[in-house]
Amino acid sequence: MTLLMIISIVVALACIYTDFNPIAFFVEFHYVRDLLGEMSPPNYRVLTDDPSTGMAILQTLSMAFLASLYGGVIAVVIAFLAASNTMPYKVVRDFFRFLLSLLRVIPALAIILIFVIAVGPSTFAGMLTLVIVTIGNFGKLFTEMLENVDNPPGEAIFSVGASRMQVIRYSIIPQILPTLMANLIFAFDVNIRTAISLGIFGGGGIGFKLQLAKSVLHYKDVAAIVTLIIVLVTGVEKISNYLRRKILGEGKLK
Amino acid sequence: MRLKEFKFKRYRKFILPSVILLAVTEGAAIICGATFDDLFGGLGRGVLFLGNLFPPNWGAFPEMLDPALKTIIIAFLGTLFGSLMSIFFALLAASNLANPWVRNATRFFIAVERAIPEAVILILLIAAFGLGAMPGVVALSLGCIGMLGKLLADVIEGIDPLLIESMESVGGNKAQVIVFGVLPQILPNIISYTLFRFDINIRLSVLLGAVGAGGIGYELDYSFGMLDYHRAFTAMIFIIVIVFGTERLSYYLRKKIKMEGALT
Repeated sequence: MTLLMIISIVVALACIYTDFNPIAFFVEFHYVRDLLGEMSPPNYRVLTDDPSTGMAILQTLSMAFLASLYGGVIAVVIAFLAASNTMPYKVVRDFFRFLLSLLRVIPALAIILIFVIAVGPSTFAGMLTLVIVTIGNFGKLFTEMLENVDNPPGEAIFSVGASRMQVIRYSIIPQILPTLMANLIFAFDVNIRTAISLGIFGGGGIGFKLQLAKSVLHYKDVAAIVTLIIVLVTGVEKISNYLRRKILGEGKLK
Repeated sequence: MRLKEFKFKRYRKFILPSVILLAVTEGAAIICGATFDDLFGGLGRGVLFLGNLFPPNWGAFPEMLDPALKTIIIAFLGTLFGSLMSIFFALLAASNLANPWVRNATRFFIAVERAIPEAVILILLIAAFGLGAMPGVVALSLGCIGMLGKLLADVIEGIDPLLIESMESVGGNKAQVIVFGVLPQILPNIISYTLFRFDINIRLSVLLGAVGAGGIGYELDYSFGMLDYHRAFTAMIFIIVIVFGTERLSYYLRKKIKMEGALT
């Protein structure tokens, strides 16, 4: 009971501090209704008549694809350098572990702002940001995956004279390959969402298109683009789930 | 010679996938306008630019405290309201509690919600309510439903059916079953998922700040816009400390809950 009281006091203080009024949400709910009225009917002509919308979708997709591929590959390389069973030198391991945790905490927002300055506001900037984000998100996961592989097969071939490289090639890689593939597909799934958000900050693609339509107050176009985003993300998620289930085998995927 | 043939045969089945992958990559690179020239030129410029960030403007330190706190509070309120709503939706989306129609409708709603990135929700909310912390909190709360709602609904569907049956057999109504049977069982899951989501929400809150919810993300975006890079770097340091701190805290608390759960 005391806990509940403390929580409610904290919540009340937090609401006052940020001028967040939960009641206002309901009182001013008619604004949402106005917006929905403004948005309907969605102007689907923007999808059929304007070729740049189709291009924007392709841009978002290819951004996420390239970022998952390059980011995933770099993440795997770093994971090999950071895992205790593939990298014998502790100094190197610690360095790459530190790098990974640093990449994970630098927010995507800061990275894209820097890349927009480096290569100009474009899909390319968004893609590079996604590469960094992917390395941060999946590098640690891959490291843990490498460290969790089954030891005995490696020890067995090591004991008959295999080199460290051969142990990696014939014991570790076959063991991690399915999980790795599944995770790369998952990375694509995650990156699609991030790519859409990053578009708003000059990353190009469908997110940029949405921001554009919103800033010129074409709410009917906004509605059409939002439905498009929903279809896109859901479609990618379904395909990704299907592929991962195929790779990992039924029931392994939660 | 024989060895070569043998090797070729062995790797033959990888050729077609590799060619397809290469073609798709090349196509995607063309669409993105990604070229290696741009990359190396850009990286040079980027590294040069990083020099502009140093040193951070320590004088801006005090004026960053308020936005930083705002970001944390937005994430906190968003997670709190979001998890409460998620529990509600999870109960409606669990097949062992709700009737099939309600369940499917709720599951559909959750899936649609999950497909909309939080930044897009925020853009729509800002269009309705104007800039401010309120759309940020609402966007984060709605964002929670997509993830927590689904996870919790799956947890509820996984609980022991005997428990619900036994409570119903001694005359418990639905509300009693939920309050005394279901919720206590899934409480550790609720807390640990919520903590995990808080970690995500802090990052999102930074991002949403720049879209228009205010807070430290806005300061960062604004400083970049004003070309005040030293100030931007100060904001970046703040963000890194906040994100790192919450990640550690969330991880520590989740581990603790897991250990306590293992004991009982």
